Amino acid sequence: MAVINLWAKQGYMSTPDGQSIYFWGYSKGAAEPAQLPGPPIIVKQGEAVTINLTNNLPEPVSVFLPGQTGVKVGSQFVKPQYSGGNLISFVNYASSNGGTVSYTFTPTRPGTYIYESGTNPHKQVLLGLYGGIVVRPEDYDENTSRTAYGSGTDTEFDREYLIIFSEIDPSLHQAVIEGKPYMISKHHPRYWTMNGRCAPDTMLPDNAPYLPSQPYGAMVMAEPTEKVLIRYIGAGIDSHPLHPHGNHTRIIAMDGRLLKNGARDRSFKRFTVLVGPGQTYDQIFQWTGLGYTLDNPIPTIIPNRRNLGIGEAGWTMWSGSPYLGEKGEIPEGVVSFNEVGEYHFMLHSHSEPKITNWGAFPGGMMTMISIYPTGFLSPDVGVLSQPVGKE
Amino acid sequence: MATLFFSLWVKRGTVTLNNQNIPFWGLATLATGPRLPGPTIKAKVNDNIRIRLSNSFLNIKQIGEPVGLMFPGIEGVMVEEWPAGNSRPVQPQYINGELVAFTDYVDRGSIFLPKGLIYKFQAKKPGIYLYESGVKSEKQIQMGVYGIIVIKPVGYNMPGHSNYKTAYGAGTNSNYDVEKVLVMGEIDTTMHENVVPEKNYNMLDFKPNNWILNGRVYPHTIDSDNNSSQPYGSRINCRVNDRVLLRIANAGYEAHTFYFGGLTGRIIAEDSYPLVSADSDLSYEKNGITLAPGQTADVIIIPTARGEYILYDRDYNHIVNEESFPGGMMTSMVAG
Ligand SMILES: [Cu+2]
Repeated sequence: MAVINLWAKQGYMSTPDGQSIYFWGYSKGAAEPAQLPGPPIIVKQGEAVTINLTNNLPEPVSVFLPGQTGVKVGSQFVKPQYSGGNLISFVNYASSNGGTVSYTFTPTRPGTYIYESGTNPHKQVLLGLYGGIVVRPEDYDENTSRTAYGSGTDTEFDREYLIIFSEIDPSLHQAVIEGKPYMISKHHPRYWTMNGRCAPDTMLPDNAPYLPSQPYGAMVMAEPTEKVLIRYIGAGIDSHPLHPHGNHTRIIAMDGRLLKNGARDRSFKRFTVLVGPGQTYDQIFQWTGLGYTLDNPIPTIIPNRRNLGIGEAGWTMWSGSPYLGEKGEIPEGVVSFNEVGEYHFMLHSHSEPKITNWGAFPGGMMTMISIYPTGFLSPDVGVLSQPVGKE
Repeated sequence: MATLFFSLWVKRGTVTLNNQNIPFWGLATLATGPRLPGPTIKAKVNDNIRIRLSNSFLNIKQIGEPVGLMFPGIEGVMVEEWPAGNSRPVQPQYINGELVAFTDYVDRGSIFLPKGLIYKFQAKKPGIYLYESGVKSEKQIQMGVYGIIVIKPVGYNMPGHSNYKTAYGAGTNSNYDVEKVLVMGEIDTTMHENVVPEKNYNMLDFKPNNWILNGRVYPHTIDSDNNSSQPYGSRINCRVNDRVLLRIANAGYEAHTFYFGGLTGRIIAEDSYPLVSADSDLSYEKNGITLAPGQTADVIIIPTARGEYILYDRDYNHIVNEESFPGGMMTSMVAG
């Protein structure tokens, strides 16, 4: 039995342009900050789960679990909640200022799912009350059978990444802390987030100490030929077209449902994946290289400087060499963050205004996929594990 | 096979959204006021469908501009002048080389002069199809000139027939116990209040403030059918383990994500192309589906536990009335 303890709290998140934005989020401990997104819930198919929610916010909050069946509170299935004949929540909730509720369910299917507040969702989900659920298949074994949907489903992976997308309109968040009316009709996002962070913070490591409320990075790191499972969740209210430059992924499941009907493989390859609201997409990505090795040199020219930049002017991830594992000269005045001659390419929303922070490029929904030379990456990179909060 | 005749007028009327009366233009029969959405046209494969659209004859509530209908997804639509005229394929209309309509249309006329067009086609493929204005479509569809055509396979209503209670015939995994058509859309109240016949509305000003399901906003979506100029309720009543067929169409100008209330559904057809055939199953499961304007999807949902499920637009800014939840594009499914 997995027991997940969550707290609904207020907090502040940071953006790379120096803003501190009030938000509501789930937290993994009574003394821990609210976080964006909420702690990932990582459980196993067939194993009973209890989610205990303590609500420290000034209005009722719930944990709604789309795609999970048989969710109960006490001995009853969760159900829409009414007050004076008016719907106030899609499911049972914890009352304001200290209320609690416990949900129990047994996930019957492996996959990637969203959890979010089903109470005043036009406000609470936009303020940050959302997170991801990963259900491991019954036969999952971290060492011997790492698959997304069970052995025989062609979903083996070496590393995995969970990336949750959303949008932020800071003025709506500000209205909440100032006690002003929350005018959803005025919703006008200025920040676009991957795992609660805007680029270039998306490329910072997990648990970066200066982002206490945004503990999850969104950089995808792998070695050549490794199978990388990338789990996308759309937690916002807009659709976002995501693509890794010069590469494609194979979509193996949507909304936690394997794309396979009997023997019929329905998985498909895409360059761009349109991540829709409330929907999830599991993909296998494999980088097999461009076919050249050190024994097979090709002439290269140094790329245009403006094509190398990331973050501040003059910053680059480029190694100075087209060869994986080799570093070369970089132009004067350019600072390279390249570690060991790894290869970086962008993964971003192709809706270009959304790769800005309040209009300033670069920012928003942008990160990198980094291909490291074989043997460089530690096996703990690209491993999803349940953070503290599970008993 | 039968020949089915439908007579439609475009008229001015009023819809009620969140206790506000808002002018709209909609499709009507001769005797009734306009409807939002327009009357649902039901037919079987092989039926010959004739839809006469009239604009002026006996119609004191005419909208004051030409009207015409498009039938996206239906091939071989012919048109015939009424009272008398030759048949010809429908086609875009030009005046002095300038495109004025996507389709043949009926001009405005005097109250004494009967004028009309008969659109004719044979129902060939089962499915659900939008029919909508093909004249100043950016304005008239928003004003309400649209409806749904449901074409069923032969035998769908004959117990014992292999197509009985199927949407797309035997072998398409489309058998259902309960069927519900849900048409998504938006309404910009300001546009409706300020629209002027024969003048173009500046679509840059289009800013919808109501999100509708079958022409209504929640909680009126769950009221009964036939209670107003918005005759189609969206409430779904079923029993546990029923196969509930939701036939979702987006008649609006924006994409919407219809979410199945926490349940998982199986998408069995897209734009009325079934995904399942004898040798291939391309159907897939989803917790919600994003439909672009003009798209449709058929979904089978099987509730396995008794209770109420709220189905809604996952664009959470669209499940409000004014600024408050609940409202907008939501409905309720009750499994008894
Ligand atoms: Cu791009």
